[in-house]
Amino acid sequence: MNSDTAARATELSSARLLERRSRVDRMFAVLLAVQYAAGIIGALTVSPYAWEGKVHVVHMHVWIAVVGGAGIVILPILMAIFRPGTLLTRHVIAASQMLSSALLIHLTGGRIETHFHVFGSLAFLAFYLDWQVILTATVVVAADHFLRGIFWPESVYGVANPEWWRFLEHAGWVVFEDVFLIWSCILGRREIESSATREAQIEQLSEQEQLKTAALQMALAEMQTAV
Amino acid sequence: MIRVLLLAAGLLWTITIGAMYRAVRRFETTPGAAAAAHATWPDASTLSRPAGAWTLVTLIHPQCSCSRATIEELRAILEKAPPSVRALVLVYRPSDFPAGWENTEVVQAAYRLPRTHVVIDLDARETRLFGGFTSGQTFLYDGAGQLRFSGGVTALRGHAGLNRGVADVVRIAKSGVGNASHPVFGCAIVSHEEGARK
Repeated sequence: MNSDTAARATELSSARLLERRSRVDRMFAVLLAVQYAAGIIGALTVSPYAWEGKVHVVHMHVWIAVVGGAGIVILPILMAIFRPGTLLTRHVIAASQMLSSALLIHLTGGRIETHFHVFGSLAFLAFYLDWQVILTATVVVAADHFLRGIFWPESVYGVANPEWWRFLEHAGWVVFEDVFLIWSCILGRREIESSATREAQIEQLSEQEQLKTAALQMALAEMQTAV
Repeated sequence: MIRVLLLAAGLLWTITIGAMYRAVRRFETTPGAAAAAHATWPDASTLSRPAGAWTLVTLIHPQCSCSRATIEELRAILEKAPPSVRALVLVYRPSDFPAGWENTEVVQAAYRLPRTHVVIDLDARETRLFGGFTSGQTFLYDGAGQLRFSGGVTALRGHAGLNRGVADVVRIAKSGVGNASHPVFGCAIVSHEEGARK
C-alpha cells in the first residue's frame, strides 16, 4: 500500500468514526434528557414531600432531581449539539452519564438494582469505539465511590467503617466489564480501519483502471485519426 | 457566542456537581430528633406488651418515603432475631385527616411483616408516650419491659442496608445483654417543641 492509499484510508476511517461518534453524541443527548425527566418523575412519584406531622414541604429529592439533574445534563447536551464528534464532548458525556447513574442511585435510596444503570451506561459508551471514554467513566465511578467512602461511607457501603479498599472491590466489577468493552472498542476500531483500507485500495485500483481506460481510448483515437 | 455558552454550561456543571454532593450529604446524614425515651415501657400506654416477650416498637409517619428503608430493616431484624421477638408498628394519623390517608405503600409493607401488629396512632398519642419524635424511631424492650435499644435502624436517611442499628438490635435480642442507641433518620412525626409540650 503506497502512502497515498494509506492517507486516503486514514481519511476514510476518520470520517466514519466522526460520523459514528456524532451519532452516538446525539443518542446520548436524548438519553441524558430522558434520564433527567425520569429522575424527576421518579422523585415526584416515590418521594414528593417531606413531612413534619401534618405539614409537608417539597422533598429534597425533587429539588435534587430538578436542579442537580439539570446541572449534570446541560453541558453534555449542549456539547452534543454544538461540538458533536469531538474528543472533549465524548469525555464530558461519559462523566455526565456516570454522574446521572450516581444521581439515580441516590434518588432510589441506593437500591442495588439501580446500580445496573452503571453497567448499562458503560456498554452504551462503548458505541464510541474509544476505549479512553470507558476509562473516563470508570474513573468517575471509582472517584465517586472513593470520595464518598472517605467522607460519607454509609451512603456507599451501609456501614460507617468499611475497609479502606472496599471501593476497589466495587470498582473491580466495573473493571471486569471494562476489559471486554475496551477489547470490543479496539476490535471495532480495527474493523473500521481495515474496511477503510480496503475501500481506499479499491478506489486506487479503480483510479488506475480509469487511467488505463483513458490511455487506451486516447491510443484508439490516435489510431483512428492516423487511419 | 457558542464558546461562551459552553463555558458557562461547564462552570454550571462543575458548581452543580459540587453543590449537589454537599446538599445530598447534608440531607442524608442529618438525623432526626432523638427520642426522649423512658427506661421502661410507658405505664400510660394503652398498648399491651406480651408478658415476658421481647418487643420492638417502631414509629412510622405513613407519608415518609424514607421509612420504606426502616420497614425493610425491620424485616431483616425479625428474620435474624429469636422467634420470640414481636413487633409493634405505630402508624401516625392526625384525627382531622380522613381515614385511609395513612394507607400508603410503607404501611402496606408493615402489614406484611412477620410477627408484627400494626396500630394506627391517632394524633401521635402513643408516639408521645414512648417519647419519640421521628419516623423510623425503634425501641427494643426486654421481657421485663426495660428499654434496651433506642434509635433508628437505617444507616442514613432512606438507605436500607447493613448498619449498626440493626446489628445492635439483633445482638441484644439474641444475647439478652447490653444496651444501645443509634441516630434515627426520617420525617418528623412530632416536632421537638410539640414533644416538649406533651
